[in-house]
Amino acid sequence: MSQTYYLLRHREVPNIGQIAVYRAHGGYEALRQALKQYQPDELVDLVKRSGLRGRGGAGFPTGVKWGFLPKDGRPRYLVVNSDEAEPGTFKDRELIENNPHQLIEGMIISSYAIKANEAYIYCRGEFLRGYEELSRAVQEAYEAGFLGDNILGSGFSLNIFVYRGAGAYICGEESALLESLEGRRGNPRLKPPFPAVAGLYGMPTIVNNVETIANVPPIVTYGAEWYTSMGTEKSPGLKIMSVSGPVNRPGNYEIPLATPLRRLIEEYAGGLKDGRQLKCIIPGGSSVPLLTPDKLDTPLDYESILQAGSMLGSGGCIVIDDSVCIVKASHRLVKFYREESCGKCTPCREGTYWMADVLERLEMGLGDERDLATLTDVADNINGKCFCPLGDASIGFLVSAINHFRDEFEAHVREGRCPLGAKVYDTANY
Amino acid sequence: MIRLTIDGQEIEVREGTMIADAAARLGIDIPVYCYHEALGPLGACRMCLVQVEKMPKLATACTTAVAEGMVVHTSGPQVDKGRKGVLEFLLINHPLDCPVCDKGGECFLQDYTFRYGPPQGRFQEPKIQKVKDGPINDLILIDQERCVLCQRCVRFMDEYVGEPQLLLEGRGVETVVTTVEGKPATSQFAGNVIDLCPVGALLAAPYHHKARPWNIERQESVCTLCPVGCTTLTTGRDGQIVRVEGRPVVDRNWGWLCDRGRFGFDFAVHPRRITTSWLNGREEAAARTTREIGQWLRQVIENEGPDRVAFVIGGLHTTEEAHQLYRFATEVVGSTGVVVSRDVPGYLPRGLNGTFEDLAAADAVILVGTDPYESVPVLHLRLRERLKNRRQPVQLMGVAPRELGRPTLPVDTLVTHVGHEADVLAAALKRGAPQHPVVETLVSKGAGIGQGLSEADLARLGDALLQSERLVLVWDGVEPEVEAAFIALAQVREGKRTRVLPTFGPSNWRGFERAGFSAQYAALTQVLEAARDGEVRMLVLWGADLLREYPDRRLVEDAYQKVQWLVAEGLFLPTGHEAFSAVVPGAGPGEVYGTYVNMEGRLELATPSVNPPGQARPTKSYLTAWAHALGRPFVVDDEWDPYDDASADLLPDEPVPTTITPIAAPVSNPGEVELVLSAMVWDNGIPSQILRSRMASPLARVSVADAERWGIREEGLVRVESRGETIELSVKVDERLTPGRLLVPLGGSTIPANRLQAGPVKVQRVEEVQAR
Repeated sequence: MSQTYYLLRHREVPNIGQIAVYRAHGGYEALRQALKQYQPDELVDLVKRSGLRGRGGAGFPTGVKWGFLPKDGRPRYLVVNSDEAEPGTFKDRELIENNPHQLIEGMIISSYAIKANEAYIYCRGEFLRGYEELSRAVQEAYEAGFLGDNILGSGFSLNIFVYRGAGAYICGEESALLESLEGRRGNPRLKPPFPAVAGLYGMPTIVNNVETIANVPPIVTYGAEWYTSMGTEKSPGLKIMSVSGPVNRPGNYEIPLATPLRRLIEEYAGGLKDGRQLKCIIPGGSSVPLLTPDKLDTPLDYESILQAGSMLGSGGCIVIDDSVCIVKASHRLVKFYREESCGKCTPCREGTYWMADVLERLEMGLGDERDLATLTDVADNINGKCFCPLGDASIGFLVSAINHFRDEFEAHVREGRCPLGAKVYDTANY
Repeated sequence: MIRLTIDGQEIEVREGTMIADAAARLGIDIPVYCYHEALGPLGACRMCLVQVEKMPKLATACTTAVAEGMVVHTSGPQVDKGRKGVLEFLLINHPLDCPVCDKGGECFLQDYTFRYGPPQGRFQEPKIQKVKDGPINDLILIDQERCVLCQRCVRFMDEYVGEPQLLLEGRGVETVVTTVEGKPATSQFAGNVIDLCPVGALLAAPYHHKARPWNIERQESVCTLCPVGCTTLTTGRDGQIVRVEGRPVVDRNWGWLCDRGRFGFDFAVHPRRITTSWLNGREEAAARTTREIGQWLRQVIENEGPDRVAFVIGGLHTTEEAHQLYRFATEVVGSTGVVVSRDVPGYLPRGLNGTFEDLAAADAVILVGTDPYESVPVLHLRLRERLKNRRQPVQLMGVAPRELGRPTLPVDTLVTHVGHEADVLAAALKRGAPQHPVVETLVSKGAGIGQGLSEADLARLGDALLQSERLVLVWDGVEPEVEAAFIALAQVREGKRTRVLPTFGPSNWRGFERAGFSAQYAALTQVLEAARDGEVRMLVLWGADLLREYPDRRLVEDAYQKVQWLVAEGLFLPTGHEAFSAVVPGAGPGEVYGTYVNMEGRLELATPSVNPPGQARPTKSYLTAWAHALGRPFVVDDEWDPYDDASADLLPDEPVPTTITPIAAPVSNPGEVELVLSAMVWDNGIPSQILRSRMASPLARVSVADAERWGIREEGLVRVESRGETIELSVKVDERLTPGRLLVPLGGSTIPANRLQAGPVKVQRVEEVQAR
């Protein structure tokens, strides 16, 4: 009972990554329609009216972002962020590995809309297969005349370059991505200026997530009203949720926004495996606070999740059951951020290191009663004081875990061991 | 203008100003590590957190631009906690080895921790270990554990200098500053990272473990090794200068130094420094030598007349010392031959002398002959800064017998033949203002050919010379006729500002001029010719080393032969000292109080850090003794002051000469190879042991094409023939050098360049005997 409204509709079609198969299933028709029936500005307007919001995590309205481009005649670039590295999130991976032409079609339409003649895909380094698929598909698109000069006789020209990152989570942050794409160290840039004003090579640049761009062809085909007919007023349309953890059917599910969390977990993902009890859920990738089981009926849209105390983020829904030690989970996540902190700003660089050490000690039963206060205070010294969102992301889960499961943290100190018997296996691993 | 309130005080600042800078104007100190005004905002250290009303989070004062009506609080519980948190973070992996750190006591991490930091650390885990005292190069050390990763050093080298030899490696808490591929940083500006480092991570190797802040005293001084006259702080300990740092002057300079100036301070204690006197080729007690010289002086004056004594000043003397010598020479002795030692024949009238402010405001800059990177390094940085200011575009051109552009500074160079610079300037004026009477006079003797250059090149130069609103020329003085072109240019441009920055030495030649000496090359030549002709019986060289400096070595040799008493004062024995009757040891920079006048014509005050070593004495000691020997009164502690009431720290302006001297047509039979002579700060005759590794490689250079022709790979030995003289030179291949040119440093101690004459030379490769 996989949910496949639109973006994943070709999931079962064999060889959909081949251009012939993709076209046989209606592929590149939206592009034809866009080039024939729309002026670029009309497309920007269409996307604005559809209410499409960035699917990378921040949820910024895409059409509004496109509207920020200064009209000063400088070259513009479209950059597709395919550096999907948020733990628990694997939607873009499926999109580029299985159906790359859908993204490329979206990129051509979007580039036409923002009047860019060059577009880049920044592909996560570890996605070797996705990178190969994209490279092959781009080549096919050139051969079919969908890329290159004068596409379909429209006078519009576009070249797409596929770039493979070198393995840094921070390069998913748009300005660090641009630095990396330019061949420099992947550190986030100072904003303002925002990429829309001075982005790639200092030129106006739109950076959008893979899923965001993949949403553009159906909006062209079915119209803005179709898109706004789903979801809520502020969060319209479709979203792919990646469900992982001890559920019966983990995987990607495409849902209209505002679908209740319970339906995603219990119906689509088939509920928890036998004998497991739900402990908490991370609804939007590792950077967001957890939700306790009492929030299961929260609709999955940006506003409702925020109200429930978390964020929809990238849609990486990690289900955690009662066999998981919350201290160990926190340690694992903070350790991830410690490894991925770029080192540019002090609180993130030093704070994640410190927190990971304290959490490790706690989990090993070597903590003392001051540690929890220290952790909370260190997290507060990180909160809102970092250069980019990575620092705040590193404390999202931890702070909510301490708030909701303080007993469990204290038990580690009190008993001098992990009450759940969890072990820290990889202590010497750094 | 934007109006905002910081800590209850209102201030109006320009749009785009950062909160940190606005606060600084109010005298409110906001702690920063990563931010430096010259490098722009980065936002990495998070030390400068402030609270801005209506902003949900604390803001970094260095990255937040001011806005109308903004209300900023630089303290308060939230801000204090934020700063305390950042400092605690910075300290968790900091080794806290302050007791053995050179920066201890002058460290921002200490200062801020004392003011804003937590009293106690909560971090119990082991600290990350990194490299300690690793090399950046042989002069700079890095302690990666102490580093706060503010990136000032990396950004300075990359963005400001344009030689990206430092980088960040690793990520997260493992990030370190290191050199590219572990190779030593070779840039001559690398030493600035020591000053930029807010903590004890980047250290000067020569100063390593040399002193604690309470052992030392820093004095405001001036670097005298080139005409830029960078402002410095010298650190003296136990009678020796042990360190030189850059000294920023608000609104004037950032305090950058080149490594030549930063590490070259040890000439004062160099083994070649003389601290005793020499009499007839033998070491002698200073008192006896001084007495002898006094008697010679008396003999000459009484027997042959005061005009038979001539004085040549040079070296690193202060303006005040020059004035004392001038008064002694003219009032006590009564001599009329009082001149400045010169190594190039060019002269620049005071009225045309520009300042660095002119450079910052210029819309066209033309380098005539000079490559600032080699002759006046910090000016190269100023040019780069000027170029980077994109809001006010500047045209940067060059007229020189070789390519002047570098990867760090693109220069649209018109490559002339040697000796054709003035002609090319005249040719450009002829194209730009053909009817102008001044130009007609200038070219009336046949100049204005522009040999080897296209009409388009000359027209482009003509436009830059005449159409620019604020023109600055930078000139090496090698070709004296250029002065006439400048004077004509200023007249043709009428009201539009035309200024020249001279890059030739001696570095304080303007000061010597201010003191009364003539800096005209002709005056010096006249003295030397008179000496050759037997009209000078006693020649007193005050810091001057004519055999090394004066462009025509043979004339000096002849003069030395003829003079009966050859007396020198200086820091080192002069070239050919065997022939000298007496040499007395002088006091150097950092040992006397006084002023120096730099290439802007700006007076800069220097305070001594140490006393002159051994028997070395300041100028006035000798002069007083000799006046006594002559039985004449001489009081040097007079009221004279080089400062002028109206022009403040600049020398008083003077009218530009109006007479236009026509430029003769240049000799147009260039040889296969032309010799280019150029001042190089790395070989300016002043030795340094600290820098010996940098000075080792040959400074004379050949082009790639010529090297191939002669079979030279990277380095080699050549025999150069010119003016009937032959010398052998070590050369290295320079890929930037224009083919057909041989570049040789002038006035240096390694190559007797003044045996040669600029222009066509014969060059031959010499097979080396392999010693190794």
